[in-house]
Amino acid sequence: MAENGESGGPPRPSRGSSAAQGPASAPAEPKIIKVTVKTPKEKEEFAVPENSSVQQFKEAISKRFKSQTDQLVLIFAGKILKDQDTLIQHGIHDGLTVHLVIKSQNRPQGQSTQPSNAAGTNTTSASTPRSNSTPISTNSNPFGLGSLGGLAGLSSLGLSSTNFSELQNQMQQQLLSSPEMMIQIMENPFVQSMLSNPDLMRQLIMANPQMQQLIQRNPEISHLLNNPDIMRQTLEIARNPAMMQEMMRNQDLALSNLESIPGGYNALRRMYTDIQEPMLNAAQEQFGGNPFASVGSSSSSGEGTQPSRTENRDPLPNPWAPPPATQSSATTSTTTSSGSGSGSSSSNATGNTVAAANYVASIFSTPGMQSLLQQITENPQLIQNMLSAPYMRSMMQSLSQNPDLAAQMMLNSPVFTANPQLQEQMRPQLPAFLQQMQNPDTLSAMSNPRAMQALMQIQQGLQTLATEAPGLIPSFTPGVGVGVLGTAIGPVGPVTPIGPIGPIVPFTPIGPIGPIGPTGPAAGPPGSTGSGAPPGPTVSSSAPSETTSPTSESGPNQQFIQQMVQALAGANPPQLPSPEVRFQQQLEQLNAMGFLNREANLQALIATGGDINAAIERLLGSQPS
Amino acid sequence: MEPPNLYPVKLYVYDLSKGLARRLSPIMLGKQLEGIWHTSIVVHKDEFFFGSGGISSCPPGGTLLGPPDSVVDVGSTEVTEEIFLEYLSSLGESLFRGEAYNLFEHNCNTFSNEVAQFLTGRKIPSYITDLPSEVLSTPFGQALRPFLDSIQIQPPGGSTVGRPNGQS
Repeated sequence: MAENGESGGPPRPSRGSSAAQGPASAPAEPKIIKVTVKTPKEKEEFAVPENSSVQQFKEAISKRFKSQTDQLVLIFAGKILKDQDTLIQHGIHDGLTVHLVIKSQNRPQGQSTQPSNAAGTNTTSASTPRSNSTPISTNSNPFGLGSLGGLAGLSSLGLSSTNFSELQNQMQQQLLSSPEMMIQIMENPFVQSMLSNPDLMRQLIMANPQMQQLIQRNPEISHLLNNPDIMRQTLEIARNPAMMQEMMRNQDLALSNLESIPGGYNALRRMYTDIQEPMLNAAQEQFGGNPFASVGSSSSSGEGTQPSRTENRDPLPNPWAPPPATQSSATTSTTTSSGSGSGSSSSNATGNTVAAANYVASIFSTPGMQSLLQQITENPQLIQNMLSAPYMRSMMQSLSQNPDLAAQMMLNSPVFTANPQLQEQMRPQLPAFLQQMQNPDTLSAMSNPRAMQALMQIQQGLQTLATEAPGLIPSFTPGVGVGVLGTAIGPVGPVTPIGPIGPIVPFTPIGPIGPIGPTGPAAGPPGSTGSGAPPGPTVSSSAPSETTSPTSESGPNQQFIQQMVQALAGANPPQLPSPEVRFQQQLEQLNAMGFLNREANLQALIATGGDINAAIERLLGSQPS
Repeated sequence: MEPPNLYPVKLYVYDLSKGLARRLSPIMLGKQLEGIWHTSIVVHKDEFFFGSGGISSCPPGGTLLGPPDSVVDVGSTEVTEEIFLEYLSSLGESLFRGEAYNLFEHNCNTFSNEVAQFLTGRKIPSYITDLPSEVLSTPFGQALRPFLDSIQIQPPGGSTVGRPNGQS
């Protein structure tokens, strides 16, 4: 009776949720298996019936991952699971991991994958990785010199100022041909770091169109450039001026030996015209646009030194021996009659580029320098232009920020090399200098031509003072005068007309401008001690007054200058005795000579600072009789 | 229904030491290592690898390392390029960010292994994935571990894999 229920039997517990099921070889019974679903970001475990379809699986997943089923892409063993498949079909058993990719929202196709769609998307999406990979080319420069273009561009940008490019060119030529400037530049740590990177150097050199032309004509040069060993050696040589000089000396010796070989001279000359001239031209023209032109030329000369260095190791060529193997050097004229001399002479000739360049440059420097000096001094506008160049300003700024560098530069300038005393004096004053340079008042005053003229007048006056009244300041020599003036006036900054005197001296490292400061005679303005104006006499009048006041004689130069400055800027100092008293003696002399106009005499004496002869001339000039 | 396309998946194996490891490892480590392996997965005609800059891709053999020292066939996959790139983007944002790079624990080979499993279900050869533990089991490796930990390898020549925008 009640066996009805029995036939049904208790429900089999196969549907119970049990973790570990039996062996997977129970196809008929839907066991629950645990499948891990792994996305790139997370991992979740799902318990699903073994025989479920992928569609069902996805539905379970979409709930957990909060996405829509058509966004889910299930991948197992490299296969994409389609909705109508079953898990078993793909061999997804308990404990295995299925990968999941959730497609982003803006995808037009909703289905997981269909072959036709896949093919379609493949072609279109194939282009995307291509475009992803095309930027590789720009990134793939292994040395990361992509920024070099910027650097080289910057250098040319900073130099090509449209205002006075010619002047700049000249200036640079003069600067860079002067060996001392070379040394200074070489010692600049920035330049050194540039030099020590052969790839950088190569890029810089190659970037120069002149060099490119040269390279086209002489392919061996490109070999030299591309050989990292040679480049490195070249740069070493360029960096070390002593080594370079040594090199050149050896070359000159060898060269002079070669000259004596019959036919050797002709060969040499041919070498020069074929190789050295274009190289020289290339090097010279580089100066205008390339701040590292010195490096460029020295590098190209270094290339020349390279073959000659190897040549030097061999014994000098034996003219009676069969011709030695021709060295690979940058020579085009191999057709020389004197075969024996040509091989070695060619390499030596190119090696002599350095010597030739220097010779020529040094010849240039003298007349060029002079004319440049003249130009500058006669035209204060030039100075103004120069100062306003961004290049200059940045240089000033960097100088002031790097006091050691500035010290080095200034102290190595030719002006100071002659006078070590001055160097010593200058050294402690340098920081004050640089401070002043930063002062915008200074800059504006410096660019004011009239201010410059006034400064020059004062300097002239000081010099005349020094010559005429040397007893005034114990250590006041003409050369030192300006330096002293500069240093002394520095601290008295607020006095506007005098303040800017200081920065004149920092110009000295900039070769052509240098002599403006100390060499008054080069300057045009006819400033004499008395500028003809009433404040003028106070200069000279204060000078003799200083002789009377003991403080100035015994005190340091600074005090003297300070007092002078005060005298100039402030009211007339009361301690000045009247000119009449001072020039009493001279007045009497003039009277005796017949110049009866006391006022005129006095004025003349004041103007000439007590010089009777000059006063007489003035009086005669003013009096028609 | 046409059968789905199958795309071959290859593993490019590079020896970063260019043979030095094979020669010097007995001396330095006390055990023989055949190389310092860097791997990448090549699929859909692109090479994908993981470095200190994240997941990168390039044309096959397009890194500075040049052509691979050996190529291992991992299998084939149905995963389309689109899905694969989607997957890579997610990976790159989660598990394989550039800063997650660690020479021993989470390096290029880790990535290659992960991707290979995703694409084909198979792992990459064990001699590659066992390399860090091999090195660390030597006293030399242990001693150098702090230094080596800080090494970040990023072969130049690849571009970072990003999320495709509006890809059709």
